[in-house]
Amino acid sequence: MRVTLLIAWREFMENVKTKGFWIGVLLVPIVFFLIFHISSRLATATPTRYFMLIDQSGEYGGAVATAISREHQRQVMQEFMRYLQANRVDMGGAPPPQAPANQLDQLLDDFGNDEVSALDDWLSNGGLDMALQMARPYLREDAPPFTPPRRQFIAIDPPADLDTSAPPQTIVEYMRPYLNGERRLQHDGTAVPLFALILVPANVAGDVVRPDSLERLMLSDGTPSGVQYWAANLTDTRLPNAIQASLNNTIRQQEFTAQGIDIQAVRDIQRTRLPLSRLDPGKQLGEAEVSMADTFRQWAPMGFVYLIFISLMQSVQYLLSNTIEEKSNRIIEVLLASVTPGELMMGKLLGIGATGITTILAWITSFFVFLQLYQTVETAAIVQILDVLLSSDLIPYFVFYYLCCYALYAGIFLAIGSLCNTLKEAQSLIMPLIMILIVPVLTMSFVAQDPNGTMARVMSWIPLFTPFTMMNRAAAQPPMVDVVGTTIVLVLTTIAVLWLSGRIFRQGILRTGQPPRIVEVWRMLRRRRV
Amino acid sequence: MSTPVLTLENVTKRYGDFTAVDQINLSIPQGSVYGFLGPNGAGKTTTIRMILDIIRPDTGHIDVLGHRSAMDVRHRIGYLPEEKGLYKKMKVWAIISYFATLKGMSRSAARHKAFELLERYGLKDFAESSIESLSKGMGQKVQVLASIAHEPELVILDEPFSGLDPVNQEVLEQLIKDLSANGQTVIFSTHIMQHAERLCQRLLLITQGRKVFDGTVSEAHAIIPRRVVLETRGDIHSVRALDGVLSVQEQPPEDGSARANGIRQWELYVKEQADPQQILQHCFENGVSLSRFDFTQASLHDVFVHLVGKEAREHNFR
Repeated sequence: MRVTLLIAWREFMENVKTKGFWIGVLLVPIVFFLIFHISSRLATATPTRYFMLIDQSGEYGGAVATAISREHQRQVMQEFMRYLQANRVDMGGAPPPQAPANQLDQLLDDFGNDEVSALDDWLSNGGLDMALQMARPYLREDAPPFTPPRRQFIAIDPPADLDTSAPPQTIVEYMRPYLNGERRLQHDGTAVPLFALILVPANVAGDVVRPDSLERLMLSDGTPSGVQYWAANLTDTRLPNAIQASLNNTIRQQEFTAQGIDIQAVRDIQRTRLPLSRLDPGKQLGEAEVSMADTFRQWAPMGFVYLIFISLMQSVQYLLSNTIEEKSNRIIEVLLASVTPGELMMGKLLGIGATGITTILAWITSFFVFLQLYQTVETAAIVQILDVLLSSDLIPYFVFYYLCCYALYAGIFLAIGSLCNTLKEAQSLIMPLIMILIVPVLTMSFVAQDPNGTMARVMSWIPLFTPFTMMNRAAAQPPMVDVVGTTIVLVLTTIAVLWLSGRIFRQGILRTGQPPRIVEVWRMLRRRRV
Repeated sequence: MSTPVLTLENVTKRYGDFTAVDQINLSIPQGSVYGFLGPNGAGKTTTIRMILDIIRPDTGHIDVLGHRSAMDVRHRIGYLPEEKGLYKKMKVWAIISYFATLKGMSRSAARHKAFELLERYGLKDFAESSIESLSKGMGQKVQVLASIAHEPELVILDEPFSGLDPVNQEVLEQLIKDLSANGQTVIFSTHIMQHAERLCQRLLLITQGRKVFDGTVSEAHAIIPRRVVLETRGDIHSVRALDGVLSVQEQPPEDGSARANGIRQWELYVKEQADPQQILQHCFENGVSLSRFDFTQASLHDVFVHLVGKEAREHNFR
């Protein structure tokens, strides 16, 4: 045992000293941080876009302007919702709040369910000022003041020498250098690039598409119809989408009016809805409503499956490269004069296992440190989720399946490593195993959607998949027979694999030359001594 | 003589149809320096691996330090394998200390011993270097130190001299002498006869898995008759008639100049008790003027070639 621990300690220390280990430990938190940081910054960092509206019809320009101001309001509202969630007084189990709070809840709920109608409400209720006033009693005392986001789309006047009544073709030709970024426009004394040109041709009303005019749409001769949206950057779809929605809204209102339908009635009908409550049968009535944390808990096992997979992949690298180093450098012979192959194998398993666990602990620690240092709205949600996670029974599942999975696969990989003299040889031998390992990752989301379905149950009983699949199902209360049965099969298989790997390891470790053929491996498995 | 440290009885190892080691018997007394000699592929390394219980013999018995398996007494054995290698990233002192702790030494004692050995054998300045920064020869010295740091009673060195420069070969010879002086038994294999000649009390010579000689160095020398080397322009055929001379053979000249002068080199094998003075006197009396008279004992090299040369060559061409 002493010798096993010595070997494990050396393996561990040598792995910890490698660059690869530190890259592995640091990369995940850094990438996580960067993604988080950049994505939250990026939303507000989009540069101000300047657009030009030329309305020759004199009819739809208003709709476009509305669309753009609506888009801005949507931004403001989104920001405000975030602000509200972050700075709201924690109600906890307090009795149902009074009317204004109800209104606030309604607002949040509306926003979550139907953004467009919420937006309309928002605007009709006085927008931001009204909302701020309404929310004030429910904000924490230390809440920072709300700063609305700046406008992202700003209208700009056409150049003085452009004839805005010229045919669209001519206008576009004239504006092309501006749109391509070759020329800039003057706005408030500074030269700014033109992001988009919105051109409403005079005869645009004739391009309105109705259900009965589908045929005409198909016979289109390729010339642009309707409102023309010209922009070099077509990936930022917020502006054209908003314009499209607003135009359609305007057109439809005109249609309603033309057919003598009450617009307000239509609106009210459109906003009618029947809520759908998602409920968890495992809980008491009243608590049964599935919250965001519950949803997360359903999906959390997938995160754990990923964690097992990534950690296993890292350990595999160490197992193979360290065994092969000892073999190709012939260190193995000195070792085998000092320790038994069994001790050597166990030492390696423990040492590299400890490396893997250290990596995971380092990730978790850095995650917590990150949450401490970087408290914002999103991280507050993550903290809540973590609380749910830590109080659930997923952690013991994870620890158990992680260890079993590691022991099972590490045994196989060590045996393979002992048969090879170079990493190249080993890589061709581990290829089939990697393929097998990918299966549970590929099927992960299917299993999560139907955790007690046939596929999930069948896969659970295949020992190589058991740790992944059962981890995946852990939150869905799988039948007891599955939990106990697969655990017994898994543990027995792991013991058998380690025992057989030990045999191969003992004999393979002194081999030189080509990796053995299947027949030889079979012979090794049956032979007791070298 | 005290009880043997190592005994092999009828040890045989086969790999399929190939017999790597064939019926070897051996007994090594305590405190001796024992040489395993033999051509490449003779079975030296296989024998050593069997002694260490890394592989098992098919038949026969091995007794190491009074135990059936070397694994039972592995803390009392030190081993340097034929193919050397160390963990590349580890520090020199750390690797010596690591192997010593595997052999049962405490961490602090092992560390202390590592630095002591490095200092004594001239590697003190490299103690903190990593193995990969060392030259091959230095790495090999480190590995030798790693195999003896736990002060084993039995040290087995497989080809310890290969790859070392002459200076370091001497350092290693000194190290083996130190071990022997300390009462430790040393077995080493080599095919460089000079080392065996200088260091060993006893020799084992094997070829194609079979033992062809086992005895002291002087016994080995006695296998080949003593010889006298003569260089002369004269006719020395009359020497043949002398009592004590077994054979006379002309040798190819060692360099071209001798032949150009008409000087020819002769090799005379003489009986063990013959007096070389007699040959010298005979030449003098018969007016044969000698440019060289060399009375030498056959070297171990000659013994080696004599015993295994033919087979070894055949083996190589197979």
